[in-house]
Amino acid sequence: MSYPLVREHIAQGVFFSSITDKKFKYNRISVNLIVPLERDKVTDRAVVPFILRQGSKRCPDFTKLNQRLCDLYGASLDAGIDKFGEYQIIALGILGIDNRFALEQEDMVKECAELLAEIVLEPDITDGKFNEKNTELEKQYILDTISSEINDKRTYSLVRCKDIMCEGEGCSIKKYGYKEDAQKITAQSAANAYFDLMKNAQIEIMFEGCGDPTPAKEIFREKFAGIDRQPVCVKNYCGKMQQGQVKEIVEKMDVKQGKLVMGFRVEGVTDYKKMNAERIAMALFGGTANSLLFKNVREKMSLCYYCAARYDRTTGLMMVDSGVEPENAQKTKEEILNQLAMMQKGDFEEKDIQETKMFLKTALKATTDSLGAMDSWYLAQVLGQTEVSPDMEIELSNQVSKEDIIEVVNCIKLDTVYMLMPNDEKEAE
Amino acid sequence: MKQEIVRNQRIGEEYLRVEHSSGLTMLLYPMKGFSTSYAMFSTKYGSVDTCFKTDKDSDFVTVPEGIAHYLEHKMFESEDGDAFEKYAKTGASANAFTSFDKTAYLFACSDNFKESIEILLDCVTHPYFTKETVEKEQGIISQEIRMYDDDPGWRVMFNLLESMYQKNTVKLDIAGTVESIAKIDADLLYRCYHTFYNLNNMVLTVAGNFDPQDVINAADKILKPAEPIHIEKKIEDEPTEVARKRFVQHLPVATPMFYIGFKSPNAGERQNFCNMIFDEMIIDAVTGEMTKLYHDLYQDGLINGGMVGETMAGRDYLCSMISGESKDPDEVCCRVQKAFEQAKQDGISDEMFARVKKSTYGRYLGLFSKPDSIASAMSNCYFSNVDIYELIEIVANATKEQLMQRLNEDFSAENSSLSIVMA
Repeated sequence: MSYPLVREHIAQGVFFSSITDKKFKYNRISVNLIVPLERDKVTDRAVVPFILRQGSKRCPDFTKLNQRLCDLYGASLDAGIDKFGEYQIIALGILGIDNRFALEQEDMVKECAELLAEIVLEPDITDGKFNEKNTELEKQYILDTISSEINDKRTYSLVRCKDIMCEGEGCSIKKYGYKEDAQKITAQSAANAYFDLMKNAQIEIMFEGCGDPTPAKEIFREKFAGIDRQPVCVKNYCGKMQQGQVKEIVEKMDVKQGKLVMGFRVEGVTDYKKMNAERIAMALFGGTANSLLFKNVREKMSLCYYCAARYDRTTGLMMVDSGVEPENAQKTKEEILNQLAMMQKGDFEEKDIQETKMFLKTALKATTDSLGAMDSWYLAQVLGQTEVSPDMEIELSNQVSKEDIIEVVNCIKLDTVYMLMPNDEKEAE
Repeated sequence: MKQEIVRNQRIGEEYLRVEHSSGLTMLLYPMKGFSTSYAMFSTKYGSVDTCFKTDKDSDFVTVPEGIAHYLEHKMFESEDGDAFEKYAKTGASANAFTSFDKTAYLFACSDNFKESIEILLDCVTHPYFTKETVEKEQGIISQEIRMYDDDPGWRVMFNLLESMYQKNTVKLDIAGTVESIAKIDADLLYRCYHTFYNLNNMVLTVAGNFDPQDVINAADKILKPAEPIHIEKKIEDEPTEVARKRFVQHLPVATPMFYIGFKSPNAGERQNFCNMIFDEMIIDAVTGEMTKLYHDLYQDGLINGGMVGETMAGRDYLCSMISGESKDPDEVCCRVQKAFEQAKQDGISDEMFARVKKSTYGRYLGLFSKPDSIASAMSNCYFSNVDIYELIEIVANATKEQLMQRLNEDFSAENSSLSIVMA
């Protein structure tokens, strides 16, 4: 089985990767700027893609830019910030219909790539400064995004647990940065962050779709040709060990439902084969509607609507979370630990493993049917310096045995328990 | 059994429509090159159906709010184990959901399609619940309701529906309340089941990597002919006016969240669905990122996180909603209402019309790009008596006059409400 992604070095520290399949109707191109998460630089960097999205030197007017997108059959131009282990990813992408569906025979691949390249490489910067007004507005957007973390209580609780658990570690640095730093963003500091990214970031351009990627590749090759770069090199992340005593934190808020989050560290699972076994183990533990947590905590004990486990191989963290009545939180926590202990003893069947593998196979196959999912999958491969396609991952999974699973499940250590609970009634009055 | 191939020249694709002898309609859309398939078995029954009778019942029954959703949860159980356990053996990823006017059971799979489609057909046509199993679900659903109570994005939308509609049951929370679901018992669930889970009131849609013959074989094997049924739903007349112009709920959020709604006249199920497409185009033309309104709101720091528009259509309702976060939702609402009034006076320019048409065409083409979106769209269209290919044709053939007519009829500041969630 061969690895289908074609990756080419097109300029200093700039790579163009493509994967094409005729079944799609769209093409997606993304430019990913990758830098280490640095506490003092992260916030200025976070605002950059959103300012870039406002317009280029040639087309500084946001309204005109969006009119151009409409004319390209509603192509969507997205800006975003992501995290991969200890790295921050500043991303800009465009998704447009393929040439063969264009009503007026436009060359969609070329036009979309040109627009994206213009946004990334020809910013509206004058005298070393971005447009003042745009900077002010996007600075407010970053401030709002940072403070709106509390809106979704499930995500908020997960983030709080990780913050407490990983304090001081690179992976705990916030991808959107910090309020106090966001308040200090200026048109100049943001432009400096942009110049710094252009010089130092590793740049991965991804193309997925049904069209010919060549015109897009040539456009980026040409545009990057004149730029002097000293790119960083992305390295694999090595997580910290559990530090002895389990941290237990309870916080209160004006909510009706309590949230329980348990943060675990998966220690010493660093090679791809073991990570694959861990992925299967976590799905069996709490990743499917037939998992141990779903069957026991939800179905048998009726304690909750959701109780799920997820594993992040880039940081070696496993998080389990559930929404519960406050008086049931302790009981839920005990049952989660009980299920984990049983799994560590090997108290599960061969049938459970086979079923989980089949479930994961469906998810992996579905990755190949979606452009967005392929983009994330292959970018993770590039950054993790692995070359495994979803089909190859299925083959790897087939080799995982019960012993492999028991071994990796025994690498899991409880680190932090976080609970978000409703205010006491007296306090609420 | 009747079979018909439905084709579309524009995108060069086709699907198979089967009227099965059991009474079930099946829409089967094989897609070349895809690895997974997606199947959806839906009944035209949702949270809006709270008072009904069949031609065999003597009188109407009024059921507790949230019962369609409760029934959905209970359909996964059978005498020989729960459906999730059965799907686990095939590797399919199964789920279900209840909306305002539909309950759907679905799975995605890469292998063992034949086994999975049999599980789906069997599970949905064989209800099994007892006093104990019904009671057990109270705890789980109560936690689901609590979760939504704490979700500001959910609250701000439902508060808007409650503000726009006076009588229409679309204003009710889909899952009901902790109090209403306490009144649900096995007898009531069976009554709802036998009314709405009649194959003549359902549709099976499948898209992706599969052989249509496998679906037909499974239907032949599992489905028993259903007696024709006539379901009468008691629907109260909805006044044109909204229930309240403005509603505020206090929840812990950083920036106030808003939903602005325009209540449109009900034109009947099929026409509501078609009008929905025109209304989406109008929202784009008046409030989209390429408009002056958006530009001004953004420049004045009133919508830092953007603004989203959507239209919702059903059996007897049609409404458009514009949402976002803002430090001053009242000002945003006022400007949005004014922009629609202005557009009515000035008309939509030829240039703007051409743009909106192109971008809507690009977006609707997206419906045909993945198995899950095709299966869902076919199911939605079917219940509104629309063919999936009509969607893209309506967009491609839209005229400015059609848009102007909808603009004048569907967007009035008078019949508009504002819902806000703030700290």
